[in-house]
Amino acid sequence: MTDFEQFLPLLTGAGIEFIVIGGVAANVHGSARLTQDLDIVYRRTDENLNRIVQMMTPLNPYLRGAPPGLPFKLDFETMKRGLNFTLTTPLGDVDLLGEIAGGGNYENLLPDSVTIELFSIRCLCLNLERLIATKRAAGRPKDFESIAELELLLSRQTS
Amino acid sequence: MNEQSQKFPFELDPVIEVYKKDVDQTLLDENLKLTVEERIIKLMRLQRFAEELQKAGRELRARQ
Repeated sequence: MTDFEQFLPLLTGAGIEFIVIGGVAANVHGSARLTQDLDIVYRRTDENLNRIVQMMTPLNPYLRGAPPGLPFKLDFETMKRGLNFTLTTPLGDVDLLGEIAGGGNYENLLPDSVTIELFSIRCLCLNLERLIATKRAAGRPKDFESIAELELLLSRQTS
Repeated sequence: MNEQSQKFPFELDPVIEVYKKDVDQTLLDENLKLTVEERIIKLMRLQRFAEELQKAGRELRARQ
């Protein structure tokens, strides 16, 4: 299980600039579909990369699905060289995404984000229209059911 | 999907329209009655339940 109740306040408490996307964003908008991990698009400034490293290091993040024993350290250089990181931590699985297919980076998504309040914090979440658009753009058959559900949710908002 | 299908208002996609018929809309209506926090707490409970089911499945296979 991913402990969103602990993870999200840790991210905001560290001052990390991020936008919640993916299945958790879908649930925020009313989806009934199960998702296992927390997907966020983070801002790729040096300051933000440092904040992420400082917040994540105590959690000993490791590459999800990688064989045990691989040398991996989520430090500033790793973040700077990489872009998207699929990680597992004791609080659950988290995808740190610098960019998403059909959506771009943090700055591209920011105008289509909304502030949500939960667990005594405020954070940004991709709005329903853009969430659908990114899933449509990705064109993955595994997203078809999810797109259908999200469009039905959108029709409830706009009707 | 073409470029227009990715912009709001969305062009109807015949494949997605077929999938819509199978969505249980009563679940959506129930979720929309909840706050955002309640929806995420519900998601965590569902994750826990899924993990319990997976564990039960593994134990069953180990006994067989």
